[in-house]
Amino acid sequence: MSENIKSHPVRPYTYVWLILILLTLFAFVVGKHEIGNITIVSLLLFSTLIKGQMVIDFFMGLHKVRWFWKIIMYSWLLLVMGLIGFAYWLGLQ
Amino acid sequence: MIKSTSSPRAHLPGDFAIWIFIFAELLVFGIFFVAYAFARSYNVELFNASQSTLTREFGAINTVVLITSSYFVVQAVTAIKNDRSDVCVNWLGAALSMGAIFLVIKIIEFYGKFSVGISLSTNTFYMFYLSLTFFHFMHVILGMVILAAILIKARRGGYSAKDHTGVETGASYWHMVDLVWIILFPLVYIIR
Repeated sequence: MSENIKSHPVRPYTYVWLILILLTLFAFVVGKHEIGNITIVSLLLFSTLIKGQMVIDFFMGLHKVRWFWKIIMYSWLLLVMGLIGFAYWLGLQ
Repeated sequence: MIKSTSSPRAHLPGDFAIWIFIFAELLVFGIFFVAYAFARSYNVELFNASQSTLTREFGAINTVVLITSSYFVVQAVTAIKNDRSDVCVNWLGAALSMGAIFLVIKIIEFYGKFSVGISLSTNTFYMFYLSLTFFHFMHVILGMVILAAILIKARRGGYSAKDHTGVETGASYWHMVDLVWIILFPLVYIIR
């Protein structure tokens, strides 16, 4: 019955969407300047990490589930981004 | 035992089977991304020169398009949780439209590369660029098929606030497709 249905607000997700778009624009502007140094690469990887975490937590809805599942997803994200960062660091040597 | 409503849910959103599929897909894409990054470290000049030939605008627009489609899917899930099947159908339609825009932009991009003779064998960068983006392209198509099936069922009143596992299942897959592109875009188009 409808009286048993909790109201599910959408506004927090709109803020998440906006942050994701702004971080994408940041990456695009940096990309247009074709800058390649450790600071820029670190900033881009960190902004990508934030974007990934936001999609996992809010869009996929994992902020509501038990830590076990979150650890699997966070571990994947951190491992992939960490190895990408290490490989880019090797390329800058 | 009475549980607090604020405690975390035990299960992942949607059908658990889709999460096995999602974890497997993420593993494959993760290996692909790391392989690209290490291949690049051995030939930075070639990768940077080839990356400069990509149209970054296409990549950025497609990122915005996929993020927005994911947001529309979140709206669809929220609508069905609020027992608004009609609104859910509209948001799923909007998400599908975004998916179609993504495919059109990607086809234009692929056509541009193939028309100047670029192929998988051109160099290591293009091998990775074409195979990674095409592999993702196929996942977008599969995601759209899943969303379309959910839309058809939702239009027939197949989901409600109490029974919306199917909507959450499709949504989880679509967000995975978005998550993968969020890493692919800076990796292939931006970082140098």
